[in-house]
Amino acid sequence: MTAIVEVENLSKRFSEDVLAVDSISFEVNEGEIFGFLGPNGAGKSTTINMLTTLLRPTGGRATIAGLDVARQQDEVRKVIGLVPQDLTVDDDLTGRENMYLQADLYNVPRAEARKRIDELLKLVNLEDAADRRVKTYSGGMRKRLELAEGLIHRPRVLFLDEPTLGLDIQTRTAIWEYIRELKRNHVITVFLTTHYLEEADGLCDRIAIIDHGRIIALDSPEGLKQAVGGDVLSLGVTSDRDLTEVIRNVPGVLSVKREDGTYRIKAPKGEELTPLVLKAVWDQGATVTSVNLSHPTLDQAFLEYTGRSMRDAEQAGGFDVAAQARAMRRRR
Amino acid sequence: MIRESWSLTVRELKHWYRVKIQVFMTLLQPIVWLGLFGQAFNIGSLVPAPLVPQFFSGAPDYFSFMALGMLAVNALFTCMFSGMSIVWDRRFGFLNKLKVAPIPRGAIPLSRIMATVIRSLIQVSIVLAIALAFQYVPGLTGLSLKAGFSMMDLMGMFFVLFLLSVAFASLFTSIALAVENQETLFGVINLLNLPLMFASAALFPTAMMPDWLRSVADYNPLTWAADALRQFAFVNTAPIHDLAFDIIGLAVIAAILAGVSVLVSRKLLSNR
Repeated sequence: MTAIVEVENLSKRFSEDVLAVDSISFEVNEGEIFGFLGPNGAGKSTTINMLTTLLRPTGGRATIAGLDVARQQDEVRKVIGLVPQDLTVDDDLTGRENMYLQADLYNVPRAEARKRIDELLKLVNLEDAADRRVKTYSGGMRKRLELAEGLIHRPRVLFLDEPTLGLDIQTRTAIWEYIRELKRNHVITVFLTTHYLEEADGLCDRIAIIDHGRIIALDSPEGLKQAVGGDVLSLGVTSDRDLTEVIRNVPGVLSVKREDGTYRIKAPKGEELTPLVLKAVWDQGATVTSVNLSHPTLDQAFLEYTGRSMRDAEQAGGFDVAAQARAMRRRR
Repeated sequence: MIRESWSLTVRELKHWYRVKIQVFMTLLQPIVWLGLFGQAFNIGSLVPAPLVPQFFSGAPDYFSFMALGMLAVNALFTCMFSGMSIVWDRRFGFLNKLKVAPIPRGAIPLSRIMATVIRSLIQVSIVLAIALAFQYVPGLTGLSLKAGFSMMDLMGMFFVLFLLSVAFASLFTSIALAVENQETLFGVINLLNLPLMFASAALFPTAMMPDWLRSVADYNPLTWAADALRQFAFVNTAPIHDLAFDIIGLAVIAAILAGVSVLVSRKLLSNR
């Protein structure tokens, strides 16, 4: 696997006492969906703005496809696509006109643009609405159009800044599906920021947890969750004997706790373990009355790494001067 | 450079003509100005009739004098809001989309300037047509051009208005790039707009002004434009400047201000 985004000690200091991004380093591999997870104000957007040439780093360096984001801005701009957090599609143009404008900005040949626009509008299910003015679109439709715009020049890296912020759950699911479909059919790297745990979990190959401008963990969603302590298998058993020892001896079990007739079994890989445990219990002639396998959540992982839950982190706030203005704009 | 600039210019123009009320206002505004101002302030009646052409740059009456100045003032009015869309685009995040695109930063102001110049020329054509049409409305004075007014004169007038529009559109676009919000922009526009209009030969002959004001007004680009227009439109025996001076002056200032807008955009639209 080759790294397409390489970040080394990247920092952004806005003022004496506002260090929005604090010397972060990571790599994004070509073809993966890489997530930046953190509460509002953690430095996610600042990082994305530096990587997309909107902000100049105050320290460190970052390259995309080998191009330096500070020194080779124009070259970088050609290989990246950005779907910003705000809805920036033009209200007074139709969906298709917005797409053509984008094609012109990226100098996509006219004939090729026509083909791609049809294709992309189909991808995001906007064919029927394509010739209507964007002002008649719902928030979800605008976001989909925005996504299609970001793809017009076939970028190698697509940046999605909070792609589902403020969208209802159905639209959110639809956006995730488009992103997955994109990955299935094209060689494209996706870098997304989010503060939805579910989004990071279901979509990303790897996740960096960012808090107070620093990366505090970086792994696959599974890996992050494993680090928290693995799965918990709860087994309701009817038996006159204590089976704790029997279960503990099943290979892979980390710990067993018995509460009345229920055994709480911790293990790194719950699915693989369940049949083994069941077999061991049956072999003892006991009856299983209930089985419940629960996976650790990213929320737990976040708590583990930052010492506070996502919700608390959100409420505590952080550096996010633009958030208020954005919220106001979205209400229009 | 050309493709993206033109595409953004077309976007601007679509914003304009798709809002019906704006097009309606574009038509209505000159009628109000010409009708009320031009007819009511008939200061020509204060001057003995035979002296009127001498006072008013060869115009047979004040209305004709003022109508040509009004062409220049209308260009100014259209250009004042040239940068407004930049302020809105900044607010709604569209400007970031342009900043991320691999386009020269200069395409951003130049597209606004082009769109404004096109709108301005459309608007002044309407003003000109209305001023001429007033001749046929009973009870109104209309614009009367010199005998032998030719196509070349008309083209000359439009060239002058083109240069003036480029200059003002560039000026106000640069200002809009520099200010962060529309309240400030409105403030600056108001501050510039009235002095530019009144300290010029657009609506009153500078010859009637106090010396200090005249020396300022004679070098106001609006004066150069009005002066040049009147030399094309009337038999003007006593122009303020030579026609060549007016036109070269406007061309130089248009080129400088357009260049400044590109420099300002490079500075202010690059990342920080």
